[in-house]
Amino acid sequence: MFPNCSLGHCHIIIAVVLWSICVDSRKIRGISLSYKRFYRERKSFLCIDGSKMIPFDQVNDDYCDCVDGSDEPGTAACPNGRFYCTNLGYRSHYIPSSRVNDGICDCCDASDEYRSQTPCQNTCRNLGQRERAEVEGQMRVLGEGLRLKQQLIEEGVLTWREKQAQLRDLQRVSDDLQTQLDDLRKEEARRKEEADALREREIGARETADNSPTSHYRPESPISVFKELDSNRDGSITVDEVQAKLSPVQDEEHALSEDEAVALLGGVHRVDLSRFEETLWTSLRTGDNVTIKGRHGVPGSLADEDPNIKAAVSAAEKAAADLKRVEDAYETVYMEIRDLREKLSIDYGSEREFLFLHNQCFQLKVHEYIYELCPFSQVTQKSASGEVVSLGKWGSWAGSPENQYCQMRYESGEPCWQGPTRNTMVMLICGTETALRSVKEPSKCQYVMELQTPVSCQPALRQRGIHSEL
Amino acid sequence: MAAFVVSPLKMGPLLVLWLAVCLSGTWAVDRGNFKTCDQSAFCKRQRALKPGQSPYRALLETLELTNTKLTLQLINDNNKVRLLLELYRLQGNMTRVKINELKPLKPRFEVPDVLINDPPTEPLSLLSRDENGVVLSLGADSQRLIVSAKPFRLDIMEGREVLLSLNSRGLLAFEHLRIRKDTKVDPEGTENKEETEAANEPAEGEEKAKEDEKVEDGMWEETFKSHTDSKPNGPSSISLDFSLPGVENVYGIPEHADSLKLKATDGGDPYRLFNLDVFQYEVFNPMALYGAIPVMLSHSAQRTMGIFWLNAAETWVDISSNTAGKTVFGQMLDYVQGSSETPQTDVRWISESGIIDVFIMLGPTPADVFSQYASLTGTQAFPPLSALAYHQCRWNYNDQEDVAAVDQGFDDHDIPYDFIWLDIEHTDGKRYFTWDHHKFPQPKDMLQGLLDKRRKMVTIVDPHIKVDSSYKIHNEIRSKGFYVKSKDGGDYEGWCWPGNSGYPDFTNPEMRAWWASMFAYDQYEGSMENMYTWNDMNEPSVFNGPEVTMHKDALHGNWENRDLHNLYGLYVQRATAEGLIERSGGVERPFVLARAFFAGSQRYGAVWTGDNAAEWDHLKISIPMCLSLGLVGVSFCGADVGGFFKSPSTELLVRWYQTGAYQPFFRAHAHLDTPRREPWLFGPENTALIREAVRQRYALLPYWYQLFYHAHHSGQPVMRPLWVEYPQDTATFSMDDQFLLGRDLLVHPVTEEGARGVTAYLPGKGEVWFDVHTFQKHNGAQNLYIPVTISSIPVFQRGGSIIPRKARVRRSSSCMEHDPYTLFVALSPKRFAQGELYIDDGHTFNFDKQKQFIHRRFSFANNALSSRNLAPGSQFTTFSWVEKIVILGASKPSKATLKTPDGKESLLEFEFDASMSVLTLRKPGVNAGLDWTVVLQ
Repeated sequence: MFPNCSLGHCHIIIAVVLWSICVDSRKIRGISLSYKRFYRERKSFLCIDGSKMIPFDQVNDDYCDCVDGSDEPGTAACPNGRFYCTNLGYRSHYIPSSRVNDGICDCCDASDEYRSQTPCQNTCRNLGQRERAEVEGQMRVLGEGLRLKQQLIEEGVLTWREKQAQLRDLQRVSDDLQTQLDDLRKEEARRKEEADALREREIGARETADNSPTSHYRPESPISVFKELDSNRDGSITVDEVQAKLSPVQDEEHALSEDEAVALLGGVHRVDLSRFEETLWTSLRTGDNVTIKGRHGVPGSLADEDPNIKAAVSAAEKAAADLKRVEDAYETVYMEIRDLREKLSIDYGSEREFLFLHNQCFQLKVHEYIYELCPFSQVTQKSASGEVVSLGKWGSWAGSPENQYCQMRYESGEPCWQGPTRNTMVMLICGTETALRSVKEPSKCQYVMELQTPVSCQPALRQRGIHSEL
Repeated sequence: MAAFVVSPLKMGPLLVLWLAVCLSGTWAVDRGNFKTCDQSAFCKRQRALKPGQSPYRALLETLELTNTKLTLQLINDNNKVRLLLELYRLQGNMTRVKINELKPLKPRFEVPDVLINDPPTEPLSLLSRDENGVVLSLGADSQRLIVSAKPFRLDIMEGREVLLSLNSRGLLAFEHLRIRKDTKVDPEGTENKEETEAANEPAEGEEKAKEDEKVEDGMWEETFKSHTDSKPNGPSSISLDFSLPGVENVYGIPEHADSLKLKATDGGDPYRLFNLDVFQYEVFNPMALYGAIPVMLSHSAQRTMGIFWLNAAETWVDISSNTAGKTVFGQMLDYVQGSSETPQTDVRWISESGIIDVFIMLGPTPADVFSQYASLTGTQAFPPLSALAYHQCRWNYNDQEDVAAVDQGFDDHDIPYDFIWLDIEHTDGKRYFTWDHHKFPQPKDMLQGLLDKRRKMVTIVDPHIKVDSSYKIHNEIRSKGFYVKSKDGGDYEGWCWPGNSGYPDFTNPEMRAWWASMFAYDQYEGSMENMYTWNDMNEPSVFNGPEVTMHKDALHGNWENRDLHNLYGLYVQRATAEGLIERSGGVERPFVLARAFFAGSQRYGAVWTGDNAAEWDHLKISIPMCLSLGLVGVSFCGADVGGFFKSPSTELLVRWYQTGAYQPFFRAHAHLDTPRREPWLFGPENTALIREAVRQRYALLPYWYQLFYHAHHSGQPVMRPLWVEYPQDTATFSMDDQFLLGRDLLVHPVTEEGARGVTAYLPGKGEVWFDVHTFQKHNGAQNLYIPVTISSIPVFQRGGSIIPRKARVRRSSSCMEHDPYTLFVALSPKRFAQGELYIDDGHTFNFDKQKQFIHRRFSFANNALSSRNLAPGSQFTTFSWVEKIVILGASKPSKATLKTPDGKESLLEFEFDASMSVLTLRKPGVNAGLDWTVVLQ
């Protein structure tokens, strides 16, 4: 909180100013050993910032003379002063001067309350013991955590390689498919062209052929079909004639019912040519429902072409089907590659230590809700009634620039009533297992979770132990 | 709520638009939920009466003059109904005018428990009398009261000047109680009987009423939206007009989110006084809000007066002015041409029921009016010192861990605070006096944790009680019959936070005593001595009631809510404050915050301006809103710092802290739906700005405490409009963007977004003001442009004043108890200054009961600064001493000598800053409770 910030340059300046008189420092309250040299008893005291020289008996006289507060290290007189808790047996630290003699025990050695009525006990030994035990525990956790982390990193490396290999394989498959696709596209185009060419030729031939009404090779007009169907040649087509000459496309053996026939004639029993053109002819043209018995296809199509055309058409169809199949395969592979790339593009930490969290989910029940965190994917909240609400989708790492991997941000969850969308901040803490430890909602729809995991253990922590000034 | 968890993509554009309109609409008040005068039947009826000849005539032959009062009957010549007028001359230059029906069908409501006693009277003497009227002497200053008989009117005169006239516009209107005609068994008989009885002197042979009362819509039943008001007593409204010749400025009648100077209401709605829970109120309009204090102050350069309309029913106040609406040029023209007419303000009060009971406070100075009003309704409760420090609130701090983390956050960022607050979510299902055992399993541990840091907590206790047979509080209230009753006689129930709720009848003294007993440490589980109380929703708020409040035909004993509506909130706060006093055996001063209030509420604690919004206009309006309250006795006022609804920009939040630090009640608060906004969440620079604002507050606490002592002692407001101290300076009359704290500090907070500078008006010709931050001296009677940055809080100390501060700002005000004082002596141009210091234990009644306090007068004159005892009868010892004396506007002495009564003399070291003329005396070291003198040579 109040780190012993670097005052190195001051040390040098003052060191030059000081001349070595071997006077024992009298006990100056509120300073650390390293500061004692600024407070050697002499006639006068120079404020540490050099701004002012005051008589030495004004040091710690409960009146602030120095702008930097350095003349009152042991009292509450200076607004910007600080008091050094020696805390023998525990951790030394500074407190703001305003906490000196304020009736609240801040230093565990009780040194800050030397003039208040509050009786403070020296609790440093207990605190020190407790902290040492705690730190030992933490160290154990840290050691174990780091070991697990290493494993996970190694596993991560393997997984990463596997994924890379998988990606390469997929790439290869994709390349193969690409080549096949090129060939198949050409093949399909060629086949289609062939079939089209044959057909065109046939149409040309038909146009020059005679106009025999029975000929299959000429385009049929409504009149010719009308005539064909008008068995009794009375200039109209009746239900009987329809039933006699037409059959359903799917089943030529089946006869049309009277109702069906009437329907084909537009709801009447008899039609003349012009009504025919509006009703039955239209149905025949589309060829979906009915056809003239003994014929294939639609009037006017090249249905009953010669075997050459037939072969060409079916070859073209096969080529198209082959192409479709490979295209589908390619699409699937493409999606897979895209997903994999996306997955691999996520920042899994400097050593990809967080990779193992992918595809895992962690749950925690808090009162009536079950919270689920699926790292790099989403956070949800499930109520007792089973309703699932999104608390955010993976956004980004959100820690400080020095350690960006200590926080994850999940954003754009379901919108709140009258408010913004839900989002979740996940704090990562060091532990020997990976588990969701807590969920809070400090502001409405703003969630904070703690995820404990070995991969958040930092070796740096190890160096920070207890260091007490003895 | 679930309805809004729909992806907009799935909705048609129209639906999206509709939603957008709805959502944006929720950010402003829904005016349709609240009545206009036209929608309030009695207001409409009364307002339809236009000024003219009054039908009322004084029956001089009925005049009776006793030692304490004059009584006189009035008759309405239209309907022959008689009224009884009572006139009292009250001690302290006040006149009380009471008008009731001579023989009402049943008693009309007279407001109890607001006046602190029966106001002591002084004899009236009859100066002259003839058939046109009588002239009475009001004692001092050749003040006379003239009663004119036909038409009836009252004029109060001083010399040849009319100070104030009543019924001069003929708007006295008294709807007498009557029997409903369409339901009567024997209409003629009863009516005649009534009239015969009413007419005291049948010998006069009055004709039957010329004009039968017309039955109008809304007299016997009224419907607003889906709510029907049954009005079993029929029409009962009253009205009276007041004319104030020579007056252009009227103030007061809070609570309204409007300018300090009241506006003319011609063409719009009158100012409304009706305690209501207004969701997302708008600024600058006369709509009713949470509290009502029916007191208006009039002011001109010659005189300040007050009108206290003691009526707790729904009330509307119309103001018109013959100068309002005139342009400045028009007024100038009047002036140059010798003005066609003198300025005059006419005021008309309309209330739905009760009687006319008016106190006319004749001033003549603002301070006189404050004392006069205080003599009637009491003074500001003297709060515990820590209540004047900073309060951290939010809806909600979620659990014990959250409370501990916020508490630690203040220490980590070295920002002082004294109180952390828990809103409704801390309870077990909104059952007040209980805790949510999941979130707050160990409330005493939590409170002890705060106590260890010498800090405190406030928990909310609202007056709506969940109807739940497993809830002790509900069961007891129900079994004792303490709930307000519906018109049908059953317990009145309405919808509020817990769902279906009952409303304890706080007008019942037995109920209040029981409620108070619930605050005993063994009753309120988990409570401790550092836990205080917040009464919200005490209008009362009834979500499904008419205008979000109680049905007017609900019953408090024999009286309808209609009669005493505006009084309910006062009783709630009173019962709670009494509970806090009782739980300590009468030793400790309570602290209770309430949202609804009435005249007299100042005796019970603090109020705040309710659910404001994080908008610059709401920051601005906090000044006139609290100034208006201060003028009518309520000094302990504040607005939610940061704004309750919505989320403030960082700049607005910082500016609000800077403003709030200089307003009496200093509490940050935020709505449940808003993001967290503890002071350290906006980056180190903004944390530092907020820290500095809060620290300025803490350093100034000795001055705040002294101001509150005075408010408690003499009723003088803490936060004052400039005109209160500069009553003849017309430039100050409508100023409400700056204010004074006491006499000596002038604050002009920055309330404009992106401001680069503000123009502060420094009053006082021949006076000087010192910038409290730079010590720069400025002349009075000027508009001073002050360039500002985001860290600026323009504050000036009056030359001629001495202000004590505590420069050692600590974690909480309690931690600063024994700290030494720094005296800031700002010299007047004549090198004179005066100030005070008040010290006591900061939290008990011992200052009052055992005279345990220190009250000292500091005077600087003839180059000597001395401290002498202002309260020789009192006794208190303090550890605090005088650390430093800073003299602004000083010249350099050759030496400074401290003399103490034991005859000792010692030389003081000093520094002199010639550029700013600031002399700093080093460490006088003398105890703050002792006599001493510092002589400069």
